Amino acid sequence: MRALDGVTLSFGKGATGLLGPNGAGKSTLIKTLLGFVRAESGAIRVFDLEMPARAIDVRHRLGYMPEREISSPKVSAVSFLTYCGRIFGMSRVDALERAHEVLNYVKLGDSRYRNMETYSTGMLQRVKLAQAILHDPKLLLFDEPTNGLDPDGRIEILNLIQDIAERPGVSVIVSSHLLPDVQHVCSQVVMIDKGRVVQSGDIQALTPRHDNHFEIRFRDNDAACVAALRAAGHRCERLHPGNTWLVQCAGADGVRTIFETAARCSTQVRHLQPARHSLESVFLQAVGKD
Amino acid sequence: MPIYTNTYRQYDGQPRHRFRWLVVVEQELKTLAKFRVFKLLCLAAFLHIIVRLLQIVAYDVLAQDPNNPLQLIFANLDVVEIKASTFFGFLYLQTSVMFIILLYSGAGMICNDVRNNLMEIYFSKPLTWVDYALGKIMTLVLLGLSITALPGVLLVGLHNLLLPGMETLQASWWWPLSIMAYSLLIVIPAALCILACSAQLPSQNYATITIIMALVADSSLAGLLAGLLRQRNFLGVSFPLALRRIGEVLFKDTRVLFTLSWHWCLLFVVAVTLFALFIVLRKVRREEIAQ
Repeated sequence: MRALDGVTLSFGKGATGLLGPNGAGKSTLIKTLLGFVRAESGAIRVFDLEMPARAIDVRHRLGYMPEREISSPKVSAVSFLTYCGRIFGMSRVDALERAHEVLNYVKLGDSRYRNMETYSTGMLQRVKLAQAILHDPKLLLFDEPTNGLDPDGRIEILNLIQDIAERPGVSVIVSSHLLPDVQHVCSQVVMIDKGRVVQSGDIQALTPRHDNHFEIRFRDNDAACVAALRAAGHRCERLHPGNTWLVQCAGADGVRTIFETAARCSTQVRHLQPARHSLESVFLQAVGKD
Repeated sequence: MPIYTNTYRQYDGQPRHRFRWLVVVEQELKTLAKFRVFKLLCLAAFLHIIVRLLQIVAYDVLAQDPNNPLQLIFANLDVVEIKASTFFGFLYLQTSVMFIILLYSGAGMICNDVRNNLMEIYFSKPLTWVDYALGKIMTLVLLGLSITALPGVLLVGLHNLLLPGMETLQASWWWPLSIMAYSLLIVIPAALCILACSAQLPSQNYATITIIMALVADSSLAGLLAGLLRQRNFLGVSFPLALRRIGEVLFKDTRVLFTLSWHWCLLFVVAVTLFALFIVLRKVRREEIAQ
């Protein structure tokens, strides 16, 4: 069975999400870009360099955060990162300086001298992120970067990745099976299923606006407003975070109805925006499970 | 609002290292130095060197000085005399300490990296599997040589300094070469066999047990064959005894255990070494390039 079959892709600047169920071939694609997995046929070019022939040159400009948890007993985060920098080719002083800098950036500054075996999963994820950005690569590959993290840790890691992706000249590829992660960080998405690309493109373009669907938030009195809207034949659905509602208006004059209902209920509309198709529905449609 | 936001600078430096395996060696030695057991083992190896140092001083200084009251004692003691076989004895005894140090240092060298998922990280940097394997091998080889060849050669140098003269030089000029050759012969196969076990097994403990059991089994087999077939040359099947046979030739030691040609012993040692090297390289390559 082939892990990847007939995949033709090109990644540009900014953040691109690789979406797919477990075993879809996301990690294989990333490992192929790294030169760890050799393609049976076809061509792979990274920074216009032929892979895997120029793998070492490519790895000079590339950072990789693997999926699996790492550890290095008896070694502190600073030592580990200094070693990574030295492997990259930095001088001892440069490597040490960079190690401190990126550990501060990923908010591990306080624990930098502790042995890595004492780190929590979240801290080890940060170490993995730190080693990936240590040499300031132009292409970053993140394989399931939020694996095993609690909600707060997940948001922190995603914010860091987002910040990195916004740096000029940096491309980021985030592989994940968690749609909200990809939506949080990426502007482009590639959906993979059973080793094939089933959908790709700009997230905004893939998730067009619904006609007469709105995301709204009321100042207060949500229950009365929603009841009134439902009584008028509109469908209301609670979204996350909890005080946001998805309203599917029955007629064409939806916005007017919402404001009138809010006025009748003695409250105000504090947020209103046309709702988009969810990435989840696009993904399910792409993998044929709609 | 924070007064500043944590960020990191753009890195414009040029990669400098051409020999990345040296970085691996440096890191391995730094990590090993953090283990107390490792330091104690090195100290144990050092004690034997001290004893030999005292022996050289006793023979070259005290036994040569007619005015020294201890001269009579040392001049008549065969065990104190400095000759080629003294260094063979030194290396032969040092082999067990060297083996324990290499076993302690090397049994987890590859399997721990695999188990801790570090290989992916290392190979995502501009480090080739050759650099990685060479780094690990060289760490053990340098460690082994530092407690065998290095003190051996230094002791020969000291012997020549304490007992200067053409006679000493003529008798001992080939000793450093023999020491180097024998040290390489004991260190390289040991390092590669330990790394091969580390590469193939899932943990440091398994690797340690396997290599010890393999040695015990090999030596038992040699003893059994020699006993059953009443032929001492079958002792050459034992890896340590095959090494000893080569050592006897290198140091012109006349106290031979068996008379099997040293060529066969060398062939055996080289074959085992190459097999171990093949296993190490194959495993490390597969870690970088999945088949």
